[in-house]
Amino acid sequence: MESYDGQKLTDSWRIALIALLFGLALLYLAHALYTVQVVQSSAFSSDQARQSIRRVQVPGARGRILDRKGVCLAENRASYCIAFYVEELRKRGKWLNTINAVNENVDKLASVLGIPRELSYTSISNHVIKSLPMPLIAWKDVDAVTLARWAERAEQFPGVDIYVQPERYYPEKSLAFHLLGYVRRDRPPQSRPGEKSHFYLPEMYGREGLEGKYNAWLTGQLGEQLIRVDARGYKYNVWDGEPAVPGRDLQLTLDASLQRVLEKTLSEKRGAGVVIDPRNGEILAMASAPTFNPNEFIPMIRDGLWKRLTEDDEYPLLNRAIQGRYAPGSIFKPVTAFAAFSQTNFNPNAIHHCTGTFELGTMRLRCWDTYGHQDIALRRAIEQSCNSYFCNLGYQTGPAALISQAKTLGFGQKTGIDLPGESSGLLPDSEWKVERLGEKWRPGDTCQMAIGQGLLLATPLQMAVLAATIANGGKVYKPHLVKKDNPPEPLRSMNWSEEALTVIKGGMRDVVLQGTGRRVQLCGTQVSGKTGTAEIDIKGVRHKNTWFLAYAPSDAPTVALVILVEDGESGGKTVAPLARQVLVSIFGESTNEPPTHVEALSETGGD
Amino acid sequence: MFKKNGLLARFRLFNPLMLMSMLCLIFIGILYIYSSCSVREDADLQQLYLRHAWAAVLGLLLYFTVAFINYKKILKWSWFIYAVVLILLILVPFIGDSQMGAKRWLFGIQPSEPAKLGVVMILAWVYSQRNVQRGMGLFFLTVLLVGIPGFLILLQPDLGTAMVLVPTVFMMLFASNVAPKLLWGSTLAGLMVAGLIMGTVYFTETVTMPKERKESLIRMTCLRDHQIKRLQVFMFPDKDLHGSGYNRRQSEIAVGSGGAWGKGYLKGEHYMLGYLPPSVSSNDFIFAVLAEEAGFAGTVIVLLLFLFMTWTGLWVAFRCRDDGGRILCVGVVTVMFSHIFINIAMTIGLMPITGLPLPFISYGRTFMLTMMVGLGLVQSVSMYGREEETRFS
Repeated sequence: MESYDGQKLTDSWRIALIALLFGLALLYLAHALYTVQVVQSSAFSSDQARQSIRRVQVPGARGRILDRKGVCLAENRASYCIAFYVEELRKRGKWLNTINAVNENVDKLASVLGIPRELSYTSISNHVIKSLPMPLIAWKDVDAVTLARWAERAEQFPGVDIYVQPERYYPEKSLAFHLLGYVRRDRPPQSRPGEKSHFYLPEMYGREGLEGKYNAWLTGQLGEQLIRVDARGYKYNVWDGEPAVPGRDLQLTLDASLQRVLEKTLSEKRGAGVVIDPRNGEILAMASAPTFNPNEFIPMIRDGLWKRLTEDDEYPLLNRAIQGRYAPGSIFKPVTAFAAFSQTNFNPNAIHHCTGTFELGTMRLRCWDTYGHQDIALRRAIEQSCNSYFCNLGYQTGPAALISQAKTLGFGQKTGIDLPGESSGLLPDSEWKVERLGEKWRPGDTCQMAIGQGLLLATPLQMAVLAATIANGGKVYKPHLVKKDNPPEPLRSMNWSEEALTVIKGGMRDVVLQGTGRRVQLCGTQVSGKTGTAEIDIKGVRHKNTWFLAYAPSDAPTVALVILVEDGESGGKTVAPLARQVLVSIFGESTNEPPTHVEALSETGGD
Repeated sequence: MFKKNGLLARFRLFNPLMLMSMLCLIFIGILYIYSSCSVREDADLQQLYLRHAWAAVLGLLLYFTVAFINYKKILKWSWFIYAVVLILLILVPFIGDSQMGAKRWLFGIQPSEPAKLGVVMILAWVYSQRNVQRGMGLFFLTVLLVGIPGFLILLQPDLGTAMVLVPTVFMMLFASNVAPKLLWGSTLAGLMVAGLIMGTVYFTETVTMPKERKESLIRMTCLRDHQIKRLQVFMFPDKDLHGSGYNRRQSEIAVGSGGAWGKGYLKGEHYMLGYLPPSVSSNDFIFAVLAEEAGFAGTVIVLLLFLFMTWTGLWVAFRCRDDGGRILCVGVVTVMFSHIFINIAMTIGLMPITGLPLPFISYGRTFMLTMMVGLGLVQSVSMYGREEETRFS
């Protein structure tokens, strides 16, 4: 065909073919629509009920925390909530209409269930603005009776359903509270990239302790499902979105039964205790008193409770074992002894004459034995905890060697335990003193430090590391609470001579056999130890922090421990019996009574 | 009775059916835009239907203006229109506004919409040149003329609009029988590339392989992340229900729940409940709203109206005695039809989601004005394309 001006014209059959093609394509669409809208329609809509899509979160269970034997210290339990799906109650027009409708429904449901209303109007409108697609939880943790009541009348309340939320649960109550920490529900910090935060309900986040430190390890990953429901709440089918991934369990080095014993010995007191395996730095028990039941923090901390806890004079939230800073007192003396051995001219058998006081210039230090220990050498000075001897020893050794020995042992630094909030204590030196106090370092400061007094401060954990280091013959391990796959390597090795170890460890054995720590004696197991009583001034009032440091069995130690009691009488009298209880629970003994010959010994066991 | 070449004689050739069906569709569009935007919070957004209506009034003015100008005169200016559109497209990346991650807007219009018409017009003009050889040279010229704006649109990125150019150009090349061997050869090649991309995406999803290899394979397709995601959703509808799969699943339920007779006007629930994202319910997914409220009966009526428009447009081409007019009509009708088909097919999950509006019904003023000017051109072809008949009758 040609156009009117003689050109060859586009073929008409091609246009007709295009028309046919387009017609067929539309027919195909019509057929597809017929399939969806007529044939399959019943799958998408039922006569009596309107359908809706519900977005359901599948929580990834938070990992459990287990002790070294598999005893569960933290797990999850199901908490049944009654939740509103606000999108299904959507009213036409402004969102205000919907908010009001939900508000009325909450009231109605409250009267039907016979429970007081917990949800405020503001929280409904906040939910609509911020997290519309998520269930709005009206009642948390409802009991079985309420659930049954709801189930009877579920049909009257479209868009309301039971929502199961996992809650953290500590089956051992307050056991190891300071180590475990606690969790709080919170909105995810900044939601994962590419996702909208309002698709997520607040999740559990670990706060403090192991829950905080190992939060990423314990946290599971939320899964999501879309469910088609009708007005009766009948669930048609589920499209799996993301599957939930449970968190991983955390295996601790802690021994729950030992922990219980240690906590029991400290109950009704203020103090701390650490039991450590000197062979690898595993913490077997770590307690701080007073303590608190973390279950009360869940799902949220009530205002009054938090106030009470933070304003409590006894600071129950403080983990004294790693956060408390105390003068170590006499249990520091072995450090002074090791420092002395590092000097070439030191003779452990040299005799010092103790008159009951030690004088240096204008300074006078009392020995606990007012009559003096008379002529005394190192091994017996440890046994008797003679202040006079150690002041002199410190003075002879000099501050440099003493401070460097203490530093290598880890004083003044964090031990690196896998718990947040650890304190580094305080190891003063002359620069520190000049800078902070504006005073020169005096020989008296060295003497004070030699007996663990003065400016020196240490955490009970640091002392436990010291106990472990002495016990294993000079290897400093990093203390840890989470079980490691491979046996850990020591952080450092102390350069201690055989002679030093023999004399000092011998002295510590004598402490238990015949010295200040006789109350810790066990039948069948040899125990070595050192008592300590640090005197401190708090606002003009004299306080005594009493310590006991021990390891056992003496020849091949498998356990080292340190216990501190605030405001005790003396290390030997107050703490040694507690240490004994702990050791008994580990090594066992035919009778719980101390050996009779200890009673026969006089009550002189001082310091 | 009439003056032979006078206005009234022309008016006799005006195709009223095409105008009527267009008005019907616009009316349906206003109704359902009202329905979908009436639940919006924002008072401004509740007025979308009014803005649509005013755009329609302006569009009708343009429609009649274009219709009563001889399309041949307009075609002579097509190179100028093409150049203007091209300049606008070039300006978009520099001074355009971004919306939802794509830079498509310039002075309140989307230059990519008139670009479709610009391409159709310049091709119609080039093909209808006297003594033009319909061989390889013309084929490559076509590729160049379409490729430049197509590439600029792809950069925005607007894959949907760029994709519409493909069937349009194909139909125009096919109708004017330009280099048929080359056309079929390249069509085959294009289908193979598409198949390869789909195959790659399918392969990476079904076969387990290390992440790096999967990523390098995906990168070979040269598609953007969200485009890959849409393809994945198309092939595996349940893969990403909360992200890309969400719209698709929701619109399918909205369409399906409409049933044979629909839930009734303003009684739809899915979009009202907010399951269909309000941001898409009045434009790209308006068909879902319509299908839910008007049911199969309503969708069939709309399909029939579209069929009617398509066929009358092609009938005008059929009756036209001028090559330029014929090709112009084929181009305009194909642009319109591609939108119709792709939009409806993606709404019911037959095609991957591409953001394309439904002609006359979706909210989107630039596109509606473009479509109405295009149909005005077809109307002009109807009136001025039959010189021979008027001369010898």
